[in-house]
Amino acid sequence: MPAPTAHGSPVADAAARGGVFLFDAWRHRFAQLLAACTLALIFIGGLVTSTESGLAVPDWPLSYGMLMPPMVGGVFYEHGHRMAASFVGFLTLVLAFWTWRREKRTGVRRLGWAALGAVILQGLLGGLTVILLLPTAVSVTHACLAQTFFLMTIAMAYATSREWLGAPGATDDAAGVRVAAIAATAVIYLQLLLGALMRHLDAGLAIPDFPLAFGGLVPPLGDPRVAVHFVHRLGALAVVVAVGRALYCAHRGGDVRFIRPARFLALLVLVQIALGASVIWTGKAVYPTTAHVATGAAVLGTAFFLSLRAHRHLRAHPAASGLPLPVGS
Amino acid sequence: MFRRTPLAVLTALLPFVVACGGSETRQAPPPAASTAPATTAAAPAGGTGSIAGKVSFTGTVPPAEKVKTSADPKCAAMHKEGLEKQAIAVKDGGLAHAFVYLKSGVTGTYPPPATAAVLDQQGCTYHPHVIGVQVNQDITIRNSDDTLHNIHPRPTVNTEFNIGQARKGMEATRKFDKEEVMIPVGCDVHPWMRSYISVLSHPFFAVTNEDGTYEIKNVPPGEYEVEVFHEKLKTQTGKATVKAGEPAKVDLTFAG
Repeated sequence: MPAPTAHGSPVADAAARGGVFLFDAWRHRFAQLLAACTLALIFIGGLVTSTESGLAVPDWPLSYGMLMPPMVGGVFYEHGHRMAASFVGFLTLVLAFWTWRREKRTGVRRLGWAALGAVILQGLLGGLTVILLLPTAVSVTHACLAQTFFLMTIAMAYATSREWLGAPGATDDAAGVRVAAIAATAVIYLQLLLGALMRHLDAGLAIPDFPLAFGGLVPPLGDPRVAVHFVHRLGALAVVVAVGRALYCAHRGGDVRFIRPARFLALLVLVQIALGASVIWTGKAVYPTTAHVATGAAVLGTAFFLSLRAHRHLRAHPAASGLPLPVGS
Repeated sequence: MFRRTPLAVLTALLPFVVACGGSETRQAPPPAASTAPATTAAAPAGGTGSIAGKVSFTGTVPPAEKVKTSADPKCAAMHKEGLEKQAIAVKDGGLAHAFVYLKSGVTGTYPPPATAAVLDQQGCTYHPHVIGVQVNQDITIRNSDDTLHNIHPRPTVNTEFNIGQARKGMEATRKFDKEEVMIPVGCDVHPWMRSYISVLSHPFFAVTNEDGTYEIKNVPPGEYEVEVFHEKLKTQTGKATVKAGEPAKVDLTFAG
């Protein structure tokens, strides 16, 4: 009788390994292109807020009643953002249909449609921010959905990769990489949500100094904007701890497939902290501030990728899961 | 089927055209120059007094801020020698563009005048820089530039709006229905553009001239609190006793 396998049966394993024959290099590259363009779009969208151009085009979906207005002043950033968003929307539409036509796995097909739904919703939210004159709740939702959509594109790219399709059976996660990576992703996502709230409450400089806060460790918290800003700084510490743990677990596991992205993630977090400081020190200058937004997305994306990779290649260690250990272990 | 299906779905997914808050399309003949008065006070019955004076600034005037207009070549072409922004404009010690009004002591009701106030966008700047209107008085917003502008007031008690004017000659009419002093108005396309609209329930207000002088006409006799509001220097107040047919003098000073 064949020994139990990572996926429970030789048939399932064969189907998983047989996916290497389903590898579609062009669709995979297209998904990677979409992920890269989405990250660029997050930067472009960040420029709109950083240059205070969010209402430079008062109407939607047209711009001053035109498909292509003069790209001057704030219109350059706002309409440029709309053009980039339309391009990403188009890429998503193509990928969703391509996946529907060619993908055998139901989950991936559904992910394609979900990504399409998300990008359409994101476009509608963008329109609402303009029509309703940038209400905070809509602006923050627009920012957070952008990050969520970015994660969907990463998932699409990885799910169509040769690595995913040809993955051998999962191995025991004795080092706890999976949990650490997922925890880091969750903490980073919360930190991004806080960052969006801070940004759209115009609290980016509510604490004017760094690393201290009004010259001390804890600022006066009477002003809600100061409180939100300070919680975002505390969130950065939480991210450092979570990412540090993921890096430690990856090293403990000794698998270079996790060590490399964990190291890259840690490096990105250091860069992100430096950018956060530069936002304060430059008085919220446009490019450091926007780079901070985009790097935040890159941090989240890297942590999410690490989580996906750990999910694909590792399974919970029996000792960690509380299940009885196999005889002889 | 695969080739036709995406086209059908794309057609179905085309965003509906909803030009909410879109550009105004009413065209007006291009004006020769902005002659919009700073105030459009009507002459109330029985008010024969006046309040006049000078608003002064005795502090150090900060240097003017140079404005980068290169983001819009049409604005840059209109200011080949550069554009400067000076919020604290002083001449002979007098402070320009300060809004002076009767803060308390006014009795009676004053319907808004039929004449609209005019806010013109000319040379990628607003003219006038400060205007006063009455509650529910029409404000005609005009684009005299050959470039696009959006007009975006940010009131705190009135309803905010944001309209686009893509072409020279476009006009729009708006009004505010609540009292509010010094509502900032800006253009998100050209971030240096700034003006202020004050909305009062009565016509007793004025904007100081270049030399800081002002006059509020047709004031009924009585005791009044006079306030001046400047965009940077904020407020100063004084008292005026107005007698029929006589001018009352109220000078106000910002120390800086």
